[in-house]
Amino acid sequence: MNIELSEEARAFGNTVREALADAGGDQLIRAAERDPARRSGAVAPLLAELGLWELAPRVDADDLEAAAAACRAAGWWCAGYPVAERLARPADLDVDGLLVVAGPRPAAATANLDLRWAAVTVDGRRGLVTAMRPDGPPRTASFVATLDIAPARESGSGDPALGLVLTCWTLLGMLDRALDLTRHYVRVREQFGQPLSAFQGVQFQLTDAEVERAGLEMLAKYALWSFGAASEAAVADALAARLAAIEAAEIVFRVAHQLHGAIGFCDETQLSWLSRYSQPLRRLPLGLSATRAALAAEIGTHGLAVQ
Amino acid sequence: MGPDASALRAELRELVGEHVPPGFLGAFTDDPADLETAQRFCRTLAERDLLCLAWPAEFGGRGASVWEQTVVREEMWAHHEPRGAQYMGVNWVGPVIMRYGTAEQQRTHLPAIAGGEVIWCQGFSEPDAGSDLASLRTAARPVPDAEGGGWRIYGQKIWTSYALMAQWCFLLARTSAEGRKQEGLTVFLVPMSSAGIEARPIATMLGPHHLNEVYFDGVPVTAADVLGEVGQGWKLVQEVLAFERVGIARYARCERLLLAAPAVLGGQWDTLPEELRARWARMLMHCRRARLLAYRVISLQSAGTVTPGDAAAYRIAVTRLDQESAEVLMDILGLAVLGGADGNWFRAEVEDHLRYAQASTVASGSIEMQRILLSRALLSGAS
Repeated sequence: MNIELSEEARAFGNTVREALADAGGDQLIRAAERDPARRSGAVAPLLAELGLWELAPRVDADDLEAAAAACRAAGWWCAGYPVAERLARPADLDVDGLLVVAGPRPAAATANLDLRWAAVTVDGRRGLVTAMRPDGPPRTASFVATLDIAPARESGSGDPALGLVLTCWTLLGMLDRALDLTRHYVRVREQFGQPLSAFQGVQFQLTDAEVERAGLEMLAKYALWSFGAASEAAVADALAARLAAIEAAEIVFRVAHQLHGAIGFCDETQLSWLSRYSQPLRRLPLGLSATRAALAAEIGTHGLAVQ
Repeated sequence: MGPDASALRAELRELVGEHVPPGFLGAFTDDPADLETAQRFCRTLAERDLLCLAWPAEFGGRGASVWEQTVVREEMWAHHEPRGAQYMGVNWVGPVIMRYGTAEQQRTHLPAIAGGEVIWCQGFSEPDAGSDLASLRTAARPVPDAEGGGWRIYGQKIWTSYALMAQWCFLLARTSAEGRKQEGLTVFLVPMSSAGIEARPIATMLGPHHLNEVYFDGVPVTAADVLGEVGQGWKLVQEVLAFERVGIARYARCERLLLAAPAVLGGQWDTLPEELRARWARMLMHCRRARLLAYRVISLQSAGTVTPGDAAAYRIAVTRLDQESAEVLMDILGLAVLGGADGNWFRAEVEDHLRYAQASTVASGSIEMQRILLSRALLSGAS
């Protein structure tokens, strides 16, 4: 078992984070929403320059960790670009990325991008996305599009675990940031003559959120290792990480909003953007109950042993 | 709740069905037709003496029972408050003016509110005075009599719903910096058309429900604009909050959407994970719980024995219900293929509910303030 990223992977993550900051940071998602046609504009070429699309996370353990760190960096800035989904692309198909899909109306946050997608179900059935229809303008739909998928012959062993786990890393980066913004805010915002951080009720809410965030971080690392080690339990481990991610996101964003008060819902705060754009990651391909059901079906009576 | 309340509920549902289009998400969307719908609906209610039915007869009401008032709150909130901003004028601006207003103020304002002809906004919160409202800094500076007398108002209000369309503002401002911060506050009734007022919309993630900031730059007011007495503002605001003690009947919309789900999904309902249907059933229990907690507060209120702690328990329960039910409804939506008119309104309403519910534990008194009230009530006199 390995539950730490290598120093190199962490350094690569920092590089990606700094490069995204230079490219606009918090402004990236605003620019994408303002001009959806240019959604890939600043981000995709920059990440290409950093060699992100040359990573081979399916075959190289170092690349796998680097990919996870990059997804986390993209989540931190709410970059508005499907970094995890592109990094999960199957090498044996002529596509740009992979989407894990489920349910009677498959959908993903892939609108306004000129990319070719493979799709895979949690049980490994592959397909190719043949058409997508945006659910609405990004302001309300957060780039979610309904997908038409033609079944493909190849089976996608390894696809669902990698697809699920890398998106958990994106969400982890968003939760890192939401908590960081909140920690900062409660130190500077004063009510009743003292900073909010001096109220124990505020401190305890922050700790509740941090327990969730830290727990997700460990499960995301474990699931990443499990995929890299080609564990038989890789899909179950990825689903467990996804379940932790959904539960953590609900609590972290609830606390972040609560402690920010009304200002946290305004476009002038980055929390508002993170919160809105976390929604597709939390609800697709599987929401809370559907993830619980999928995990239960996957583990049967085996449980979730830590190896 | 009695036969009168049941008859009233049926009447309101019929009126909503007749006058409010399906998919209506409140008066303040980006579509001006929604505001027109609300204004029209208010006039319809006013014509039938239903707009301010809780008011005493002398002011044009029909002195309805607290249970009839409860039915109105429930039915209106369940259907996205088709009265628009009017609920504020009817629920508390009017009653406070009845109690503290001069004869002239009553003549000016009450018939307009009763007729559904006027929109009010509330100037309480400021950027640095949210939960700690008494710290507000918007100041009414006295003008010497030689220069015309009265005051000029300087400052900024924030989170002001309806400011862009309101004709009047119920404004709380500081008239004195002496003494405790709760002292020296005064309520002014200010026309929004006054020189020196500028309202700007705030873009938020809450969906099409307009919030604004309002700037006051030397807005002139006179003694005739003061409600009650100078320096009495804090007391008036406490009464306003007491009128609003039970607050919004959030459970009514949660329950309406939850109950609609099986019919809208049809055959797909049975394919949902059993655990999701169990969460749905749990939310219906929480709706009932919140409703009964509200009814308890209403009973205590009508017996004159309600305390802030009683209302706080209800408000904590109902705001959490709002958020949790939104999560369950979104999960249901995620597993269904919906089309047609029913599917479309259900999807739009659930997504709107999710957006709007995010703020329910912050709006109208944060959940932290409710927790403080409740814990004080629990611990007072404890040994």
